[in-house]
Amino acid sequence: MVTTTSMMNCDPSPEANEVKNFLAEYAAILLGCGATCIRIEKNLRRMAEAFGMYVGTTIMPTYILLSIRTRNEAFSYCSIERPKKGGINFNLNTQLSKLSWEVADGKLTFCEARQRLDEIAHSPHANRWVVLLLVALANASFCRLFGGDGKSMAVVFVATLCGFLLRQEMLRHSIDLRFVVFCSAFLSSVIGATGHIFDWGATPDVALATSVLYLIPGVPYINAVSDMLDGHYICSFSRFMNAVILTFCLSLGLCCGLLVMEQSWF
Amino acid sequence: MTIGFIQDALFSAIAAIGFASISNPPRAIYGSCALTAAIGHSCRYLLMSDAWCGMHIIPASTIAAFLIGTLAVLLAPRIKCPAEACFSPALLPMIPGVYAYRTVKALLLCLFQHEEVAFNHYLYLLMSNGLTCMFIILGMVVGATIPMFLFKKISFQATR
Repeated sequence: MVTTTSMMNCDPSPEANEVKNFLAEYAAILLGCGATCIRIEKNLRRMAEAFGMYVGTTIMPTYILLSIRTRNEAFSYCSIERPKKGGINFNLNTQLSKLSWEVADGKLTFCEARQRLDEIAHSPHANRWVVLLLVALANASFCRLFGGDGKSMAVVFVATLCGFLLRQEMLRHSIDLRFVVFCSAFLSSVIGATGHIFDWGATPDVALATSVLYLIPGVPYINAVSDMLDGHYICSFSRFMNAVILTFCLSLGLCCGLLVMEQSWF
Repeated sequence: MTIGFIQDALFSAIAAIGFASISNPPRAIYGSCALTAAIGHSCRYLLMSDAWCGMHIIPASTIAAFLIGTLAVLLAPRIKCPAEACFSPALLPMIPGVYAYRTVKALLLCLFQHEEVAFNHYLYLLMSNGLTCMFIILGMVVGATIPMFLFKKISFQATR
């Protein structure tokens, strides 16, 4: 009998092959949005068990390896996925974790789960102009925390506004992140140094130091330690190196900015 | 002292919200993120102020980060978000930016020196600032991550 393709070819009691495809896509999105290894493993295992299967994972920096087998050991499938890179995204992380619990608690069937995964993967980002304003405000208050005065805060606000706008625009054209960080750090430090040149405020040094801090890859550093505590040393090291390289690009941008502005201490 | 304390809490809350917005978090997270950041950073302020403990910045940051991590794990089930999404932005206001800047500055000055005495001085500045910066970040990150592993049950069932 030929069945019609209702609900996107979806069988309510899924076969191992389909579960594998679903879990592989799920894992690729979760790893790409910057989730820690322990979370990826727990979420995958939880969902596989709900579908009556076992899952084994190896998480490497540039790909994720899944192996699925049914409980009666009749079928076993393997899959290698590359993470879907889209930058750190806590909204995706939260939605996907919720999805895994809903599947585990039996609130969603396989078909519904697959549909939800599709919806989550295409969920919209926050408004970029609001983000731009919030980041600039955040960096200005950061300057205050380091003891900067009002004028320094204003300099940092403008420096961050310009630098982050440049970052957004360059990332939109999918330019390499390391180069983006370098250019943004350069621009922000050049603007941050104006406090020194025109003698604005009593704390121009703090303004210059703070102007590039919004580029620090904080989440990768934290994820690296989380992976280390969980024993995923290779993944931890790779995340750490990634963060170190970005920090290095940031410093390089800052150095070039300082050299161009010919600070008094040379 | 009191004004400094309140200012510290307020500005770290604003900083946490702004830095959180870079990583596109769910809306529900902003409030708890600001709260944990404010409590954590002002706790460090108290630990480091001479009137109270006068603690060194490295242990003070570690303790404050541990507090942030614990709070985030406890708040996570209420807002139904993963704990790491809550504490990562809250940690950012504690990043030792000025130490990092001084390290880079000392490196540049060190490279362009020709006399031994001056070179040694800038090398000393480079190492002392660099080491302090590195260990603050290390202490902060480890301190904040440990609660998530101590309370594994709570932190991974938060989105249930």
